[in-house]
Order: sequence, then C-alpha cells, then structure tokens
Amino acid sequence: MNGRRVARLLAPVLLAATGAVSGAQIQATVTGADGKPVTQAVVTLKPTGNSPVPEGNPKSVVMDQVDKEFVPLVVPVQAGGAVSFPNKDNIRHHVYSFSAPKTFELKLYSGVPSKPVVFDKPGVITLGCNIHDWMVGYLFVTDTPWFGKTGADGSVSIDAPPGEYTVRVWHPWSSAMAEQKVRTDAAPAKLAFRLSVVPPPVPARK
Amino acid sequence: MIRFARLEVRIVVFFVILLICMQGVMFTLVTASGQHIAERRVREELATGERLFRRLVDQSNRRLSDAASVLAADFGFREAVATRDLGTIQSVLRNHGARISADVVLLADIEGMPLADTLDEGHSGAGLPQVSDLLAAARDKGKAQAITLIGGVPHQVVVVPVLAPVPIAWVAMGFKLDNRAARDLQDVTALQVSFLSRRPGDGWRMHASTLPEQARVPLLHSASRQSTLDTFSFIDVGDDHYATLVPVLGEGSEGRVVAVLQRSLLEGLEPFHRLRNILAVLAVVSIVLSIAGSMLIARSVTRPVGRLVTTARRIQDGDYPEHVAVERSDEIGELASSFNHMLDGIKQRESQILRLAYEDALTGLPNRAMLHDRLTQALSSARRTASPVSVMVMGLDRFKEVNETLGHPIGDRVLREVAVRLQGVLRESDTVARLGGDEFAILLPTGDSERVQNVMRRIVATLETPIVIDDQAIDVGGSIGVASFPDHSDGADTLLRQADMAMSLAKQANSGYAIYDPAQDDGRRGHLSLLGELRRAVERDELNLHFQPKLDLATGAVHRAEALVRWQHPVRGFVPPVEFIPFAERTGYIRQVTRWVVERAILQAGEWHRAGRSITISANVSTRDLMTPDLVNLVTGGLQRHGTPASLLCLEITESGFMDDPTRALETLEQLHALGVRLSIDDFGTGYSSLAYLKKLPVQELKIDRAFVMHMVTDRDDATLVRSTIELGHNLGLEVVAEGVEDAASLDMLRVLGCNEAQGYFISKPLPADRFEQWLDQRGSAASAAA
Ligand SMILES: [Cu+2]
Repeated sequence: MNGRRVARLLAPVLLAATGAVSGAQIQATVTGADGKPVTQAVVTLKPTGNSPVPEGNPKSVVMDQVDKEFVPLVVPVQAGGAVSFPNKDNIRHHVYSFSAPKTFELKLYSGVPSKPVVFDKPGVITLGCNIHDWMVGYLFVTDTPWFGKTGADGSVSIDAPPGEYTVRVWHPWSSAMAEQKVRTDAAPAKLAFRLSVVPPPVPARK
Repeated sequence: MIRFARLEVRIVVFFVILLICMQGVMFTLVTASGQHIAERRVREELATGERLFRRLVDQSNRRLSDAASVLAADFGFREAVATRDLGTIQSVLRNHGARISADVVLLADIEGMPLADTLDEGHSGAGLPQVSDLLAAARDKGKAQAITLIGGVPHQVVVVPVLAPVPIAWVAMGFKLDNRAARDLQDVTALQVSFLSRRPGDGWRMHASTLPEQARVPLLHSASRQSTLDTFSFIDVGDDHYATLVPVLGEGSEGRVVAVLQRSLLEGLEPFHRLRNILAVLAVVSIVLSIAGSMLIARSVTRPVGRLVTTARRIQDGDYPEHVAVERSDEIGELASSFNHMLDGIKQRESQILRLAYEDALTGLPNRAMLHDRLTQALSSARRTASPVSVMVMGLDRFKEVNETLGHPIGDRVLREVAVRLQGVLRESDTVARLGGDEFAILLPTGDSERVQNVMRRIVATLETPIVIDDQAIDVGGSIGVASFPDHSDGADTLLRQADMAMSLAKQANSGYAIYDPAQDDGRRGHLSLLGELRRAVERDELNLHFQPKLDLATGAVHRAEALVRWQHPVRGFVPPVEFIPFAERTGYIRQVTRWVVERAILQAGEWHRAGRSITISANVSTRDLMTPDLVNLVTGGLQRHGTPASLLCLEITESGFMDDPTRALETLEQLHALGVRLSIDDFGTGYSSLAYLKKLPVQELKIDRAFVMHMVTDRDDATLVRSTIELGHNLGLEVVAEGVEDAASLDMLRVLGCNEAQGYFISKPLPADRFEQWLDQRGSAASAAA
C-alpha cells in the first residue's frame, strides 16, 4: 500500500463521488486509534426510518490482480452490481469466495474473465486465490447507492439527497463498524470517525 | 627329595602370589577406572541422546505442522469448513490424520468453538478446551505447537489456521506420547524414555515408559520426593543406577509434561564387566599356567638334582653307576657333567688305591691282600675240581744283616732282585707275593706234591747264585714253608698260617724248607683268637713255669734249670709253646710273656734260695726284649722285689736275636752283666754270628742247639760240630751246655767231649716247681744213697 498505488486508485473514487446527483454532501474522515488516517475504509449512508432507498443503477466495478495481489484491497459495490476480476499478471489465478453473501470461484484463468460476477446480497465478500494463499481482497456489497471509500487522507465525500442517514464505516482490519446518525440539508456535513484498525500479520509470499 | 619338593613349592608359591597380587591390582584399577569412565560415558550418551530426542521432537512437530498445513490449505476442505459441511469435514480430518498416523485431529471455528474431531464419539469435542492455550498462541503467531495434555494424555500438538484466505477456523493435529512413541525414541536415542505429567495441585503421573516394570516405580518415587524433577540426577533402581535427564516438554494451564531420559549405568558398565570377566578368566588361566610353568621349571631343577643325589648315594655305597645323562646345556647340565668328571676321578683314584692296596710298592708284586684274594679264589675253584693248591711262604735268611751292614737301599734292591728271580722260576698262573719284610709267598694254584718239590728246588737253586749289587756279591738264602690243600687245610688263612709255621720251622731247623706237619700244630683244632687268649692267659695265670734241670757233667750235681713256659688252656688243655711263642713274637706280645716268665723265674729262684736251694734259673728272652731298656728295669726291680741274688738268674738269648741290632743288644747285655745276671747264648750254631762279635759279648754260657745234639751219636758231622763248639766255647772262656740229650750215649759222649752241662729228656723233662723239688730231693737222696 505505498503512496503511489493509493494515488492511482484514487481516480475511480473521485469519479464516483462527482457522479452523484447534486444534493447534500457528506464528508467523512476516518482515523485509527493512533490518530492516523485510515484508508480503504468503506463509508455507507442509509436513510433512517422508512425513507425508501431508491432503486439505483448499480455500477460495474473492477477488482484487479496485480503482482499476485488483489488491487485494491477493498472494492465497494452496490448490490446487484457486477465485479470483473481482470488478471494483470502473466500467471494464472484461481479466485474464490466462501463468504456467505456470495460463494463463487473463478477457476484458473488469465486475462479478463468472460463474465463479471454479479453480487446480489449485501455483505462482505472475502476474496482469495487458491494458488496464492496470501492474496486477500474484500468486496463490500452495499444495500444503498450512497457509499464511498476513504482515500489516503482517510476521508471521503458522498453526495446524497438531504435527509436523515445512518452513516456506517467498515474496514476489513477492524472487527467492528463505526456508525453515526446525521441529518443533512443543503450545506455539507462533516463527520469524523475513529476506527481501531489492526493490520493482520503479513503473510509469507512464496 | 623332601627338600627339593620344598624348593619346588617355594618357587610355585612365589610366582603364584606375585601373579595374584598383579592381577588384583590390575583388577582394582580396571574396576575403578571402569566405573569412572562408564559414568562419564553414560553422561555423554545421555547428553547426546537428549539432543537427538529434541531433534526428533522437532521433526515430528514439523511433520504435524506440514500435515496440518496441507490439510488447512485443501480447497475442498476449506469449502467444507466455510459451508460447515460437518460430514465432509470429519472424513477429511480422518483422511489427513491417517496420512501421518496422527492420533488426534481437531477443527475449531475462528472463535475456538469445536466443530469436529477424530476422537471417539464419547470424547468428541472434549479436546479443544485443553488446547485453548495453543489457540491463543496461534491467533498471535499464525500457528502454534506444544506438548500438552488432551484427555489427560500428553500429546504433541500443532495448531494451524484454516485460511480462506483469512483464518476462518483452526485445525489441531497431534501425536499421542504413548509407549510406542517412547519406544521409537528409544530406538534412535538408545535411552530409556518415559513421559510424565503433573497437573497443578496433583502428583506426577507416568504415561508411557520404555523402562522395565520394576524400574518405573522407583522413578515415580524419586519424582514424587521432589516437587520438580532435577534436570540431572542418578536414580537407583535395585542394583542399577540410571543417569537421568528431564527435559520439560510442555508447560501450560493443563499442567507440565516432561520426558525422563535415562541411561543405565549397569549397561554403561557392561563392556567393563565384560572386560573384567575376561580379565578374571585370564587371571585364572595365567595362574594355572604359571603354576604349571613354575612347577615344570622347578622340576627341571629338582629332578636332575634328585638324580644326581641318587647317583651320589650309589657312589657313597661304592656302586659306580654309568654317567649321569647330560641332556642339557644349562647350569644343571654343567653340574651333571662336573659330576661325571668327579665320578671318573673317583673311579680312577679308587682303582689306583685298589692297586696300591693289592700291590707291594717296592717290588711291584701282589701284596698279602691280593695273595689272600687269589688264594681264596684258587681254593674255591680247587674245591670244585678237587685239585691241589699249595702255598709257600719264604723268609730270606740273613736279610737283616744285609740291611744293617749295607743299608736299606741295598736291602730294597735285594728284595727286588729276589722278586724277579722268584717270578723267573714260576709259571704265569702262579702268584708271587711279598708279605712284608723279607717274607714272600708263592701260590701254586695247581700244585701237586711233585711240582711243589720241583718249585722249591728251583727256588733254592735260584737263590744260591749270589745277588750282585754295585760289584758286591750278596749271599741270601731262603727258608720255605709249604702248606697244601686239601692235605692240610681248606681255608686261605689257615693255609698261610700253616705255611708260615712250616717256614719258621724250616728256618729254626735251617733245613731250607719244610712241609707243614700237623703233628707240630694244634692250630687245626680250631681257630684261636690267639692274641686275646694269650693275653687272658697272662692275666688269669693260665701260664705257668716248668723247670728242666741242667746236669753238671763234671760233678753230677744240678745247680741250674731252664724255666719253660707252659700254657694250660682251660678248654683246649695244654697248648705247646711252638703254637703261641712264634705268634707272640710276631705280634710283639712276646714282651708281656717275657716279663711274666722273667718275673716268675726271679720269684721262684728267690723262694728256692730262701728255702736253701741254690738253683740258677734260666729264662728265655726274645730278641725284641733286648732292644728296650724295659728288660733291665724289669730284672732290677724283680731282683729287689723278691730278694733274689742276681747270680741266681740266667737269661738265655737266641744267637740270631741280637744280630738284628748288635750295638743295642750289646748295651743291654752289658747292663745285665753289670747287675750280676748270668747270660747265655741259646741255640748256638743255628745263627751266623761272627766269632769276633761273640767274643765281645759279656756272656758266661753257650748252649748247643738240640738239632745237633740229638743225632750226634749217629751223625759224625753233628758230632764234629758239637765238639768244635765245645772247644770254641771253652776257648772263649764260656761254659757249654748241650740241649736235647735224649739218651745215655749222648750224655756219655758230651761228658767225654768236656761239655759242662747237659739238659734233655734223658735227664728230666721240664717239671712244675713242686715236682722239680721232689725230683731234686729224690736225686739228692739217691746220690747220698749212692754215696
Ligand atoms: Cu492467485
């Protein structure tokens, strides 16, 4: 997770943020227990009460495999969205998931698989590669169209219509989710989250 | 042999004790250093064994870890875990567990809750709480391994996560530390392996052990005495000690698990015990060998020495054995060969001594001993063939004169010449021996009387030629006596004595030779121990004096008598003087006889003198008596003791007697004469004394030998000799007495010839003193009657 890679990954996030309908803007900043910014944390907004969640048009997203790693570590996707797993290495991978929302497996392949995988149920999908045990990636399937992922500075901006929302923060390295309620109007709201993030032991690469 | 046996025993005992001491020292050293070395070796083996043990534990950790990792990475397994497909999970666990013979495989969810295991139905799920420590460690470090108790049994367990790819569950896989595991470890480490555990607040328990049953309890005892087991110690089990190392295998909330690694000191000592046994066998063998060897060596000394001793004893007994066999070149061999040289020396010297003993040194002739041997031999063969054997004894006449006048060297040469001449007239088979002095003996082993006569004549003839030495002609004659077997005797000693006696007679008779005449010898009646008997006779007064009167031919009166010794033997009766006087002369005992006779004669003369009879008594004095001053002392003392006038004693000296040492004899005679004793020359005519010498003698009387008187009436030569002797005596101023007057004619003839006195059987035989007195009285009364 060096700085260069973070910078490169920033582009689609910005694209997603700016692509939202105009309305209220919520800016969330996530810091770790040590006060440092937490990157790759997924922030979701869910209207409270019985406010309907609009049927969105889920976007397709990409989870690359580069240099025998899933890139990026975390990819959020709205339920019903498709995820493609292009293999950028010149060797083959065998991507799988045993997670409850979606169990699948992409048997040994190289290049871009013919069909992207559609994720219907919200939840966390842990991705692994049967060839390379150390490869770990996460898909966060949301049940709301308003979501984002923190960047290198630990903050993310999400545009959503004004209203009352439950804001949740998820990170694979944290066992719990942080959540705040917020009421938005035309003015942008700023939210700060503190999340205890413990990096797992770096697995041996072979 | 006892002494040698002791030598042998000493040698054996010395070597055996020495050997036993050496073996004992060696034994002690080996045992002590063996113990030391074995202990050190056992410690080293224990340390090495422990390193091996730990490596083996690591190895099985890796096996467990690898197997568990393979299991956890299995895609299907992960899928089954993710989907909680318990049936599949169970079978996969069993399958993978079986691959490495794992005793237990467990699966827990990520929270540590049991999902599945390979335990029996009843125990299912019971194992996980006991590996909770391990799960905690695995969460921290990704995986964990330890030895811990599962179901109260120590297990070596590895826990790895099931990754999908993040941990979704835990797999634990383990080996039971049971007897089989202990045995496998023992096979590699060569140590006794036991597994013990101790729960908190509990005692030690033993789970598995390779120890023999009887060694387990002492180990537990030793463990229970200590709260913690020492890392190193010795534990006694019966006779054995076990060096013990106790590595801790696992320590956790479930308790402590240890391995007890042991090495038997007895086993460590075993090579030394084997060595010790070999040494013991060697010691016994070498002691036996050294006993045998030293006995052999000792025998090799004592046996030959014993043989030498046996030989020496035989030599001592005069039995000369063959040489002792010299088989060796060592000191014993040298001793044996020196011994043989000594034996040769002794043999040689003995034969020399023997030769000297049987040979006369002067003439080289056989001596008396040899003659005796040969005579005995001749007699024994003669007895078988009944052939005659004769012995001659020859004495040289006048040999003493030769010695005196010409000296002993000349005398010796004369004897040698005589020896040569005698040998010249004899056969090879005859023996000439020198008996000593001037006496020779001739043995004729096959001599009949004719040959004897012949030999005697030839001897006489050969001696008639004078022996010429240094231009000086020496005339020696010989007197020969002969005795023959079987005529005279059948014993060698007797024959020699008889021949000697005959020779004496021949010499006395001046007859040249004489054949033994039994009539003159009573010796045949039996062997007398003459000297002893004679001595006893003197002591016991068995001797007595007879008196033979000397008749004065001019007046017819009797004033003198000759005392003659008579021996009345209590058993044998009368022993004639001829039988013991020559013998007494030869042995020197004649001096005692003479003393006795002279003493008695003086006594008798004294008695008669006091009784008014004036009888001069003559006593015969031997040659030897004249050579010592004893006779003079005896006569002086006797005359004084018995108060006898010297004139009543007359000593008759044989003419040949004083010729042996004339000066000495003359001296004695002068002294006797000075005392006033009458002196008479006996047996005149048989000797060869020179007239000049005779003139110097202080004698008053001359006695004519009976040999001439007896036949003077019939033999003109004898008559002439008697007449000239009487004339000679008268010319020298001596009175002349004739002996052996046996008839009236002789007496008349003597009276005519002017002989002064006569003595003989015709006048009277010798009479005892009382009878002599009676004879005198009768004669006196007859004379007075005639008057
Ligand atoms: Cu891969």
